Amino acid sequence: MSGKIKVLYIDDEVNNLHSFRAAFRHDYQVYTANSSEEATVQLNANPEIAVIISDQRMPNMTGVEFFEEIRASHPAPVRMLITGYTDVEAVIDAINRGQIFRYIKKPWSEIDIKSAIEEGYSYYLTSSLLTEKNKELQKAYNELDKFAYSVTHDLRSPILSVLGAINIAKQTDDVAEIKEMVGLMEKAMQKLDDFIHNIHDYYNMRRGELEIRDVNFDNLAAQLKDMFELVGKTNNVEFVINKDVQSAFRSDETSLLIILNNLLSNAFKYQKKNIAHKFVHVDIKVNDNKAVITVADNGIGIHENYLDHIFDMFYRATSEEFGSGFGLYNVKDALSRLNGDIKVTSKKDEGTSFTVTIQGK
Amino acid sequence: MDASQFHFIIIDDSFFDCRIAEKVIQNVGNPASVKVFQNAEDAIRYIEQIEDYNDGKKVVLFVDIQMPLMDGFGFVQEFESLPAPIKDHYAFYFVTSSINENDIRRSVNFPSVRRFLNKPLTVAVVKELLTTV
Repeated sequence: MSGKIKVLYIDDEVNNLHSFRAAFRHDYQVYTANSSEEATVQLNANPEIAVIISDQRMPNMTGVEFFEEIRASHPAPVRMLITGYTDVEAVIDAINRGQIFRYIKKPWSEIDIKSAIEEGYSYYLTSSLLTEKNKELQKAYNELDKFAYSVTHDLRSPILSVLGAINIAKQTDDVAEIKEMVGLMEKAMQKLDDFIHNIHDYYNMRRGELEIRDVNFDNLAAQLKDMFELVGKTNNVEFVINKDVQSAFRSDETSLLIILNNLLSNAFKYQKKNIAHKFVHVDIKVNDNKAVITVADNGIGIHENYLDHIFDMFYRATSEEFGSGFGLYNVKDALSRLNGDIKVTSKKDEGTSFTVTIQGK
Repeated sequence: MDASQFHFIIIDDSFFDCRIAEKVIQNVGNPASVKVFQNAEDAIRYIEQIEDYNDGKKVVLFVDIQMPLMDGFGFVQEFESLPAPIKDHYAFYFVTSSINENDIRRSVNFPSVRRFLNKPLTVAVVKELLTTV
């Protein structure tokens, strides 16, 4: 909400429109209409109109009737009626039915109108804020439902795998078979642990405050090396980080680490099994307090049909390897808090490249 | 009763659970065959291309519900569009870790689905189930 309060004034007498505009155009952004049809056009064209003031007596439709008509299609603006004493019955009725915030007596004085607009506007702000908050709550609630459903599944499934393996192990004396089952249990527990780490990240980002300061990219690169060098060596994947840092960059290092950690762990996880030269390349460019970071691999790639959904919570575009469908959601969530942006290009069987762009604070 | 009169197809995105189901079936004893799919689409393609059911043995399908891409419900919809004589060769079971009542309610709406089994599969459960196939 910026600038002057936007007010729509409706009156069938053009002179009244002129004098209203002349009296208030310095204080408010005034829109006028000389019929209900024109008023509807104005409302549709200017969704930020906060206050509607209408004359009661107009040829085709009374002000009350007009308000009744637009109440459903334009619920947000505050409605006020201007009328003489003779219409009092109709007005009281309209007010009681909740259609009108206030009525203003004719002839009106500038002070009356101003105080009515100011009060109406503060009511408008409160109720639009409430509507906004309600929407946010509804979204959070839907997410929570989805969250509970998937978390139940993702927490239970490794536990049930282990119970299954225990069952098999109990019924055999064959040491090799028991060892295989113990191996499965170990992996299932690692999966569970990964999942719990993801949830931890998710809530950290949701609840935690951003710590904006100069990002130390040497430090960041060293941490990434620590985390992924071993995986790279074990699986014979070339891991290179290129840095080209030309300016300071102010942002939240923890969020950056979560973003890169997720992108990298996917890049290493979704490698092709049997090719000679596997790689994961990270390219960091910082200039003018803006960071552009690319994470590229020549792994299994993502089918184009799934690209639109990969950032959705719990969405998984492959059944290869274990995944929670949480990682890229966390990435997007972290980026939205940093006002960052992510683009992906990918080709099935050829590889994937994510480019993250973040403007420093 | 052992498993020699049955073929088995396991569909589950979890590698562990596939392995466990496979073991359980082997421990029941002598299955005619066991096929494992971590991707439901591959499984439906496989089923579509089978031409020969001449040995007269039923195919027991163990299908997980929550899977990425095509899930258990997507799979059962495709399965139900197969010709009836083909479907008659199969005994379809959902095997899941879900405790969501919606999932359970939804799964019994499909005529092909015989039962909703809870993970983990055990030798006792499979043995008991084979007596009713």
